[in-house]
Amino acid sequence: MTALPSIAFSLLLLSVFLLGVLTLRLASRTRDQQRELERLNDALRRSRELAEQQQTKLAQRSTLDTVKDEFISTVSHELRTPLTSIRGALGLLTSGMLGEIEPKAQNLLRIASSNTERLIRLINDILDLERMESGRDSLKLRRSSILDLAREAIDTITPMADNAGIRLDLNCAAPRDAIYFDADPDRILQVLTNLLSNAIKFSPSGSTVWVQIHSDVNSLLLKVIDQGRGIPPDKLETVFGRFQQVEAADSSKKGGTGLGLAICRSIVQQHGGAIWAQPNRGGPGTTLWVQLSRSARSSDSTSPEQTTMPVTERGDGLVLVCDDDGSIREVVAEQLRQQGYDILQAGSGEEAISIARQQIARAAGLVNDDRSARPIAAILLDLHMPGLTGWETLERLRESPTTAAIPVIILSVSPPSERMQPQGLAQGWVQKPFNEKLLLAELHRVLISSSGAGQVLLVEQDQQTANVLLSGLREAGVRVDHAATLQQAVDRCLLGAPELMVLDMNLPDGDGFSLVDWMKRQPTLSDVPMVVYSGRELTDAEIQRLRLGPTQLLNKAKVRPKQVEDMVLMMVQRRPETAAVA
Amino acid sequence: MRRILIIDDEDDIREVAALSLEATAGWEIMTASSGADGIQAAANGKPHAILMDVMMPGMDGPTTFRQMQLNPETAGIPVLLLTAKVQGVDQRRFADLGVAGVLFKPFDPLTLALQISQTLGWND
Repeated sequence: MTALPSIAFSLLLLSVFLLGVLTLRLASRTRDQQRELERLNDALRRSRELAEQQQTKLAQRSTLDTVKDEFISTVSHELRTPLTSIRGALGLLTSGMLGEIEPKAQNLLRIASSNTERLIRLINDILDLERMESGRDSLKLRRSSILDLAREAIDTITPMADNAGIRLDLNCAAPRDAIYFDADPDRILQVLTNLLSNAIKFSPSGSTVWVQIHSDVNSLLLKVIDQGRGIPPDKLETVFGRFQQVEAADSSKKGGTGLGLAICRSIVQQHGGAIWAQPNRGGPGTTLWVQLSRSARSSDSTSPEQTTMPVTERGDGLVLVCDDDGSIREVVAEQLRQQGYDILQAGSGEEAISIARQQIARAAGLVNDDRSARPIAAILLDLHMPGLTGWETLERLRESPTTAAIPVIILSVSPPSERMQPQGLAQGWVQKPFNEKLLLAELHRVLISSSGAGQVLLVEQDQQTANVLLSGLREAGVRVDHAATLQQAVDRCLLGAPELMVLDMNLPDGDGFSLVDWMKRQPTLSDVPMVVYSGRELTDAEIQRLRLGPTQLLNKAKVRPKQVEDMVLMMVQRRPETAAVA
Repeated sequence: MRRILIIDDEDDIREVAALSLEATAGWEIMTASSGADGIQAAANGKPHAILMDVMMPGMDGPTTFRQMQLNPETAGIPVLLLTAKVQGVDQRRFADLGVAGVLFKPFDPLTLALQISQTLGWND
């Protein structure tokens, strides 16, 4: 009987012990929660303070902008008033309307007149530049034709060209439906007129200034090529600065203000484009390149950070570079490697064909992790080579069933307008001397159009989450593209509507709402089915705002990648066209 | 012969503009150096058009224009503003006023008359 009380006692002890442990754990959890709460409170307070500071800064900046605006406007007015009298008086005297003037005096009047004109241009240019850089004079965008604008600029400048004895030549290699873009036509016209006027000023009499227009899937490219004295390599970039002429005497000799190219760059950048200068290969003169986006993504956004160049996606794939010039091969290879491509090189057409065939054989006995054993994604091909020429190489590649489907981009000194190719032999064209951006854009375009865009677009900023979803979906046989930013998502959507979009509401350069709002305004994107996942519960109004086509909502905190995958698979397979293919 | 009234507070600009219109188009020119004088001159002289500065001490160009619109003697005379303000915001403001046109300083003395004729649709 003595055992019973001792068991009871042990049980009591045990319960007291357990109760103690439980209490301690509860207490520690409460302490943890307390700490977490304090931390959150702290964070909240800090972010409120930050928001207030930003608000104050914004208000200060806005006041400063107004003051600066008024100052510029007043100064410009005060300078123009005396200039009006000077210009008027000189103009009437020089015209001879008020009586004959002897030649020496006439020459002095001419000097005074032309310098008055220069001063007026300078004031106009300063005002123009200030207005643009302040960002207060917004672009008036509308769908414009680059070809029409180039023609208009040429018409405007023809009298000047005639006076200087210079021929103007316009050549458009872009297909008819690819010449349209979103632009402020007056501003782009200002850029083109300025570039042409520069080219004429610095070209010898009897020479030609060419304007060439090219296009790719996302952008337009316009070149102004002159045969003038050229720009020294160290000045290729500085000419776009303010008052940075190649020679100090240029502003007085050529009547420029030293602000023309700065204004051009400012306008082009406002359009989300780029402008740069390059010396002509193997000849005198300079080529000015203007790259312009075909759709005005930047204008859809209120954020000034968005007016940058479109992000070029990193490359992926094995590219064969075929050129008999080893140094060109190496330059191209290096540029592509830096973008993430793997490279094979061939020094002749014969070698290129042989490598392409070997690679098919290697890829057939594919070892999964060996990146070098992948099939060739594209071939960059020179035209003028000893032995097999580029065209002959291309024909042989097309004759053999194993190599017939490999996309080929011609890399040649000849412009694409002179291509005498049978249709469909080559998928792309880059003219030498080539610009890196153009080469990458063309390769990217060819790779996308040959592979076909994915069915599903995954918009997710977190690379790890994206990788999990991408590999899961790809294993299930779904073609998926990935966009990590709002900008990339817009870029991808412009290539064609995805069958389904998987959207994370948090993006580094905006949020899911901005993307969906933009899609609503695009006729081909306004009914895309969506799987939306968000970090928080969405209100009914928000859910309504996100709805395009059939829409599924998932809470990020409660859902696992596998469930997102299943949802995507279900929705993709439910689509009738996919069902038909499957 | 066309008769033009120039209203500008700057003596030099009045003189140059008058000389330019007389010499290139042979028009008859009247001048006034303020908005108030301008209204008086317009009512008395009945010009075919008025070329008027924007920034003037006392009554500025837009105010003078509005006053003229209220007066039946001057309401029908087309008014062109001649301004050194070239910013977009100013131009839009002028366009909203309902003037016949806006010309910019510094003007070209040899083509000023032509610009006025074109703006007003004069063919003579």
